[in-house]
Amino acid sequence: MKRIRIHEEYCIGCRLCEINCLVKHSRSGKIIKAFRGEEPRSLPRVRVEEEGYLSFALQCRHCDDAPCLENCPTGAMYRDEETQAVLCDEDKCIGCWMCIMSCPLGVIQRERKTKKVASKCDLCRGEEIPVCVKNCPNEALAYE
Amino acid sequence: MSDIKTRYLLVGFSVAGWWCARAIRERDRNGKIVALTKENGVYSPPLITYYLGNKVSTIDYRSGWMENLDLELVPGGEAKKLERENNRLILASGESFVFEKALIATGGLPIVPPIPGREVTGVFTLTTPRDMQEIREFMKFQEGERVTILGGGFIGLKTAEAFMELGVKITLVELANRLLQNMVDERGSYYLEKALERAGLEVIKEDTVSEFQSREGKLSGALLQSGKYLPGNLAVVAIGVHPNIDWLQGSGIELGRGVIVDEFQESKRAGIFAAGDVAETKNLITGERNVVAVWPEAVKQGKIAGENMAGNRLSYPGSLPVNTVSVGEVTLVSAGLVNPPAGDFEFLTTVSDDSYRKLVLKDGYLVGVILVNRIEKAGVYINLIRQKVKVESFKDRLLKEDFGMINLPAEYRKHLVEGASIEV
Repeated sequence: MKRIRIHEEYCIGCRLCEINCLVKHSRSGKIIKAFRGEEPRSLPRVRVEEEGYLSFALQCRHCDDAPCLENCPTGAMYRDEETQAVLCDEDKCIGCWMCIMSCPLGVIQRERKTKKVASKCDLCRGEEIPVCVKNCPNEALAYE
Repeated sequence: MSDIKTRYLLVGFSVAGWWCARAIRERDRNGKIVALTKENGVYSPPLITYYLGNKVSTIDYRSGWMENLDLELVPGGEAKKLERENNRLILASGESFVFEKALIATGGLPIVPPIPGREVTGVFTLTTPRDMQEIREFMKFQEGERVTILGGGFIGLKTAEAFMELGVKITLVELANRLLQNMVDERGSYYLEKALERAGLEVIKEDTVSEFQSREGKLSGALLQSGKYLPGNLAVVAIGVHPNIDWLQGSGIELGRGVIVDEFQESKRAGIFAAGDVAETKNLITGERNVVAVWPEAVKQGKIAGENMAGNRLSYPGSLPVNTVSVGEVTLVSAGLVNPPAGDFEFLTTVSDDSYRKLVLKDGYLVGVILVNRIEKAGVYINLIRQKVKVESFKDRLLKEDFGMINLPAEYRKHLVEGASIEV
């Protein structure tokens, strides 16, 4: 499968990945509406982590042996046959947070809207290139 | 009746059995697998209380994947006896199976202490779909229902959560001085109790039911040790579960609290493995043998047993108690040693009106964690415990607002991420 590669040496910490991810996963898909008109605001599913001079953007790795999937009691967390991405079926999710407890990278969040759905990277379902990669100005993220 | 022959026999088919079957299939495409379950089908035990509370419409577990497992499921298949000299198992129905490799994954049975009146109509346990169905049917005939839940541990709280959705007046009775005794400390329990009270639930601590009183065989109320009386015709005994091993007496399998297994999940009888709530394993942190009845460990043990039954030799690093509970407005995560005995332990904490985080360190390693409401990095902490990463050099950053992977040693971080063929 294609994966998002992270090159921390190129990351400049601009957070354009976060902004584009948030807009992509907002209801309107429009930047101003997403930030000003939608309450509560969507969450970016990629997060820039920073310490001193170092920074990188981190999102779900869609692990081969994904503990979030193994520990999901409803089967809401599943692997997409086509892209091999680990996705959350929001209709099945009961918000038990077993996935959050299981993720060694800490990249699953509680959806603010409902507090009942796990929010994570979905590789921008259907997009040829995920928006975080497409909008990275310094090639700190690559999809290959 | 003649024996049914199989290469693999899974005795019990809940989460440990399911992941065992999957692991077998990854190594052995064709070997025959027979899976026995007492129940009618394959279900997810944690969903029982959610179903009772009308939060899910099915308790099925990944039924869409069953085809790929290519196994023969025997519903209503309750194991009665394992022969001492042969690899032969007999069911309560009289059917018998001869196997090459077996997994014992019969889970746990509810503990019901000998309280007078425990057999009257209206006193239930809630660990199986049948229990849930019985409670549902019972409740149809009742108005202005009140329920007494005996036990403020994990099962008691999940039970309370279900009844909260049904608009029932709930009283939770716990013998200890805090709820979730094994998962949190007194402060952690305080947040939980506050949230329960806000949701309209009554919590009684340091007390227990001394008698279930009845009229014409039907529960009329619960009398507590303190003399307090809780009227109502519905009660759930939710003290906990113990491993379902009585049927293994005389089988030559070594039994402690559960089925004693080595690091390969194999019992003292070669070729017979155990996993999940019935297995007694070594604790990852203390090294003591115990039964850790939680989902993530059942998955791990089931997978390792399956691999080894199919010819591999993988070892289980040890069990770690890990769990999460959401009731009312509070969500908490607990892992490892959260109430350590007196000794050389270091505690890091943050406390606010609506959150609490506690990390327990020993010799520079993280050994326990409690998170109340701020749970987003739970998995990061838990993995530091599991992987035995020394945190001494960055312990001052563990509870920072923006704590994340970036604070971890580069080597550990890269190893984790490379595991999925990515370089950070």
